[in-house]
Amino acid sequence: MRPRDFPHWLRDTMLRMFPHRAPTGLVRIGNPGRESPVLVTGNFTLTIRRLIDALRGHDVWLLCANSKGINVWCAAGGGHLTHHDVISVVRISRIGELVDHRELVLPQLCATGVERRKIAEITGWSARWGPARLEDLPGFLRRRRHLVKGERFVRFPLWERMEMSFMWSWALIAVAVLGAWGIGSWALALCALAVILGIVGGIFAALPWLIVTGPKRWLTFGAFAVVGFGVGVGVLAALGSATSAHLWLAAGTAVVATGVLSVDLAGTTPWYGSYINRFHNPALVDLVETRCTGAAECVQVCPRDVLEMNGHRRKVEIKRPDQCIQCGACIVQCPEDALRFRYDDGRVVEAATIRRTRMNMVGQRTVELPEP
Amino acid sequence: MSSFVWMKFLESSPERYDRGVELLSRGRIADVYDTIAELAASPGKRLLDIGCGTGGVSLACAARGARVVAIDSNPGMLDIARAKPVTRDQGGDIEWLELGLAEVEDRFGEAHFDAIVSCLVFSELSPDEQVYTLDMARSRLMPGGRLVIADEALPQSGPRRMWHRVRRLPLGLITYLLTQTSTRPVERLAESIRLAGFGRVEETRLWGDTFVVVSAVREDVGR
Repeated sequence: MRPRDFPHWLRDTMLRMFPHRAPTGLVRIGNPGRESPVLVTGNFTLTIRRLIDALRGHDVWLLCANSKGINVWCAAGGGHLTHHDVISVVRISRIGELVDHRELVLPQLCATGVERRKIAEITGWSARWGPARLEDLPGFLRRRRHLVKGERFVRFPLWERMEMSFMWSWALIAVAVLGAWGIGSWALALCALAVILGIVGGIFAALPWLIVTGPKRWLTFGAFAVVGFGVGVGVLAALGSATSAHLWLAAGTAVVATGVLSVDLAGTTPWYGSYINRFHNPALVDLVETRCTGAAECVQVCPRDVLEMNGHRRKVEIKRPDQCIQCGACIVQCPEDALRFRYDDGRVVEAATIRRTRMNMVGQRTVELPEP
Repeated sequence: MSSFVWMKFLESSPERYDRGVELLSRGRIADVYDTIAELAASPGKRLLDIGCGTGGVSLACAARGARVVAIDSNPGMLDIARAKPVTRDQGGDIEWLELGLAEVEDRFGEAHFDAIVSCLVFSELSPDEQVYTLDMARSRLMPGGRLVIADEALPQSGPRRMWHRVRRLPLGLITYLLTQTSTRPVERLAESIRLAGFGRVEETRLWGDTFVVVSAVREDVGR
């Protein structure tokens, strides 16, 4: 990031939870020609800014589809970015008049909502999957659009977790500081600042080792609320302002900060599953082996390395089901409808249903469940 | 109606859509469907409904005898629409299709329709999609064919416009939190339609100047 881009980065990061629409259409990066690759993304401002940064020195055409200002993964899961939107930007931009080839590079994480085969059927453009993370795009382009295995999987490095904690913190801090200003106590404002930063920063820093879904998540959040309150008490004591009223307010701040995070922490991280109809349910991805023809499309789009191709048997195998986050990408892309979700009690949700239903913000699909 | 920002929440669960829009419009949305149908539909007319959703406009047009092609890119919405009974007394009918707006040209030739309608869709499109849609609509309409577009709008007077923005802000925030997106009022709709080459452009503003219905006609064969 160049220093002059910092204010934009700050704005986009602070507001990254909200849609922020960039213009749709064609963006030239470098000096692209008739053989240059054509990449596709959504029209989320932060993504486009980062793509342009990451691809400095490359010559590519970038097509920004109308994802309603939402990042690619969330938009595809929520039904805001579909193959119809990709077809729309291909045609409206007239990219076909600018290049001699007919190949699009799709961001892998759009696989949960963008049906690759439909794009080819309707437009005649073939589409291949690019890496899951835009940081891997330069290497992918240098290797002449060849993807290496590790680039298919989502990561959530510390810097990105801290960025996400900043997004959550600033709004909470703004409200807390305004409240403290209303009460007229700067000691309380400092205390609220420490409580919020302690809880939010602490949770995101320690996230790889925490349980934030399922019934045990309340222990995690409870522990952080207590630690946050402890930090607040420490600050108030150090400032000589540990009155009974201030201690209650510090406790309230800790509860609110933890409560806000507990609502959708899993939704702002790439590791935790979405839900098929019910929260915290035990549905797992299921393979109907007789239908599988070994196309391995599912292996190419799984962001969690759940599936593997067995070359000898020409069948896909579910190797790491516990890693599945129920994004549904493998189910949506399978040309034979060989994958589906299965509950412990035997109920199944087939591919046709998954393709027709979308996730809401907390990652829940409101599908009709069949009788057991 | 103060705002349609809740539309997105409703769309995230198609089965709630009709009930919610009815509630939000205080029972007046059916009047808009009828207004559009009155302007665009009559027995035997070939009519395209762009972004038909759960079918409110299409059903109103079919009830007036139009042969409707209703398209939407959301299959969940179309499932709800298909389950509704169509009034065929006047010879009307509806073909429901999952189709994006840029795919219309694959299915229908130039000058194929007598009328094209769209309700609560235009504000969701990006500016270049809006221009494309108007061009597409013009080319798919017969000469003399009618275009009717209805959508949320901003009031024309400055203070009312500001008050409207303030009033929709909290609703917008809640909708963002529930669905990660929101709707936006469409701006300068009548002007855009004129620029796309349509004639006899007429604008009707409803509900405290926060909803607009624009009707226009394809007057000539070429541009």
